[in-house]
Amino acid sequence: MFQFILRRMLWTIPVIFVVSALTFVLMHSVPGSPFTRERALPAAIQKNLEAKYHLNDPLWKQYGDYMWGFIRLDFGPSIAYRARTVNEILAQQWPVTMTLGAVAFVFAACLGIPLGILSAVKQNTLIDHSSMVVAMLGVSIPSIALGPFLIWIFALKLKWLPVATWGTPAHIVLPALTLSTFYLSRFARITRASMLQVTREEYIVTARAKGVRESVVNLKHAFRNALIPVTTIAGPAFADILTGSLVVEQIFGIPGIGKYYVTSIANRDYPVIMATTLIFALLIIFMNLLVDISYALLDPRIRYN
Amino acid sequence: MKKMWLFALVVALLAGVAVAGQAKTLHWNLGAEPPSLDPSLATDTTSHLILKQMFISLCQFDDATMAVLPDLATSWEFDAATVTWTFHLRDDVRWTDRNWTLSGIPVTAGDVEYGIKRLLAPETASEYAYVLYLIKGAEAYNTGVGSADDVGVKALDNQTVAITLNFPAGYFPTMAALWLCAPLPKVAIERYGDKWTEPENIVTNGPYILSEWVHDASLVLVKNVAYYDVANVKIDEVRCTIVVEASTVMAMYEAGDLDVDDNPPLEDMDRIKSDPVLSLELAQAPRLCTYRYGLNAAKPPLDNILVRKALASSVDRQSLIDYVLKGNQRPAQTWTPPGIFGYVDGVSLGIGYPYDPEAAKQYLADAGYPGGVGFPEVTLMVNTSQGHQKIAQFIGQGWMDTLGIKINITNQEWGVYLATCHADAPQVFRMGWCADYPDGNNWMNDVFHSGSGNNYEKYDSPAFDALVEQAAVETDPAVRLDLYKQAEILICDTDVAFIPIYFYTFNQLTKPYVVRTFAAIGGESWKNWDILDH
Repeated sequence: MFQFILRRMLWTIPVIFVVSALTFVLMHSVPGSPFTRERALPAAIQKNLEAKYHLNDPLWKQYGDYMWGFIRLDFGPSIAYRARTVNEILAQQWPVTMTLGAVAFVFAACLGIPLGILSAVKQNTLIDHSSMVVAMLGVSIPSIALGPFLIWIFALKLKWLPVATWGTPAHIVLPALTLSTFYLSRFARITRASMLQVTREEYIVTARAKGVRESVVNLKHAFRNALIPVTTIAGPAFADILTGSLVVEQIFGIPGIGKYYVTSIANRDYPVIMATTLIFALLIIFMNLLVDISYALLDPRIRYN
Repeated sequence: MKKMWLFALVVALLAGVAVAGQAKTLHWNLGAEPPSLDPSLATDTTSHLILKQMFISLCQFDDATMAVLPDLATSWEFDAATVTWTFHLRDDVRWTDRNWTLSGIPVTAGDVEYGIKRLLAPETASEYAYVLYLIKGAEAYNTGVGSADDVGVKALDNQTVAITLNFPAGYFPTMAALWLCAPLPKVAIERYGDKWTEPENIVTNGPYILSEWVHDASLVLVKNVAYYDVANVKIDEVRCTIVVEASTVMAMYEAGDLDVDDNPPLEDMDRIKSDPVLSLELAQAPRLCTYRYGLNAAKPPLDNILVRKALASSVDRQSLIDYVLKGNQRPAQTWTPPGIFGYVDGVSLGIGYPYDPEAAKQYLADAGYPGGVGFPEVTLMVNTSQGHQKIAQFIGQGWMDTLGIKINITNQEWGVYLATCHADAPQVFRMGWCADYPDGNNWMNDVFHSGSGNNYEKYDSPAFDALVEQAAVETDPAVRLDLYKQAEILICDTDVAFIPIYFYTFNQLTKPYVVRTFAAIGGESWKNWDILDH
């Protein structure tokens, strides 16, 4: 197991280099520079600015300089926001996005999985059918429609929660709820399908025949095995929730890192583009590794060597 | 000693506030994170709004009339022999910072000289330096071929600054009212470098101090007790949220979290106008910006002036305003908007091309394409945005219906779009312009002179260049006005270089307890506002 983890972590290095090289080439092939402006800058000024940010160096040198800095965790200055470095932007805003993502993930898992178990256990009853309708709505309604709708109900009409921005636990509720609905529904449906399949297995019948209580059959035997397909989607779910947070952050005015993914490209802010892309890639690699480790923990038949 | 005096003032103010009751707080939303609060570097409206509250300049504008009023300078005069404007400054203006460590130091003419030269310095790389090229030695210094000592800005003593120009520009006081001529705090800038604009470092002299700035989240300004006119500043604190999404801002306004919504979404305009409460809170004020469709006369069939006249005559501006824009904008047949010196009322004087479908069809027929037969497809390009797309579809459809021609509407991302328009503009492309300073020179010369980098149409008319160059140096306002009128006739009517579409308006929602003004040039004067008990 340890060797497996070590090998995966070593594989991260070439993956990051490929991602960074691709991103670098792509962003430099887009027309326009960070200094393209409606009011055209004098040529001498533009040259000065490009020299300041080493944009006149040959591309391979720029790439090398950037990766050298990246390894030492120095992500460079932001070209668009002169008073801030990329490290500062990440340090201030990444925790906000992670908090929002984590709470949304917890909502999705803690509401979705039990809903799926309940539906499976009470299959073909009213509870089952209504849960699956709710799940279908959750998968179909995009956050860009759901967010303002929740604001309208809970903030404007009922006045239970604040409209937008960030700061108190009350501010997290609506955005996290909006962000979680898609995966809440997916967790519910997959848990239900998986549970239904597992409860048909022979060892479940044996357990019941032995007289084990129904709740123990469901939660200890069936659920643990049903969890494997659920875990499969949990890793990408967390990564998706972080990208989906971009829209939710925009709707609710949350100072997260999401908007920088888009604005950095519009601004041609090369250091921010590189940093945000690479950190996201690292996150996905890490989440996938966690998922693989959890397989081994959940199913003793799975061994990595 | 100075610190004791300031401390006593703060205590007195707080006591006064406590006696008077609640501190007056304005809740505002900034539609974007300010990219920079450095006066030399800021280019966008959000940054300028905050800068206006924190820094004073030599002069200021009257919000309603755009007249130039004293601010740091109490008076100024022009000497024709030396082509020099001399400004006489107040002696009671002080620098302030949040912690009162660099406070109490007087603002002097030397700070004005430093501020202008820093703006022009090549290392600063300011985008607005070009506006001050009329100052002697400015262009040479800014492009790296001259030195700072040769720039025509001199502090003669602590209270007098002399600015020497390349030519007598009658409009120079309007530039003295811009942030470009603001004194800057040399000590703070040299000590903190790029970080001098952070709240713990920044040193300012205006009606408000930057007290707090959580990037992308919030910004707080508090009244500057050392401001020279603090007695007239009524609002104690301005708390700004930073929310980009216009519909969310609208919801915040309706929930009472904001006192003003300066950008209500277009989709809500009908609902606002028919709502009994909101319709009374909606105000429309002129905004000094013009929207145009540029025409690339180098690309056939637009090289035929009759084709350009046909296109210009088949834009139904009023319907566009009534059904698409919905903001009571004003149709434009000329370029410079009302409120700017040099404006001519094209609509009533018959300059430019009003909506006249019959005339349009006739122009097209005269050009050799009766009924649009044989007319090649024309590309209309805008930068990617829902708003611009809707306008393009409306106008493009109008051309197709009236003239029977085919229009290909495309869009490009903003950065790519600018690069495209710069290198090889499409046949028809959308552009706008907002006033940097309230004078026709900023509209005619800075945009459409043949050597201007903002002249995407690549309009090249020696007659036009001569008119605007002469207007720049002319001192008699009546003569200047006539020169600009001739220039408008030439570019909009005779040569049809572009199609002016509309003059912008501000649409803003304001709670009834806010007593406010509207700044046509942008950048509200919060020092003149008040908040009533509510």
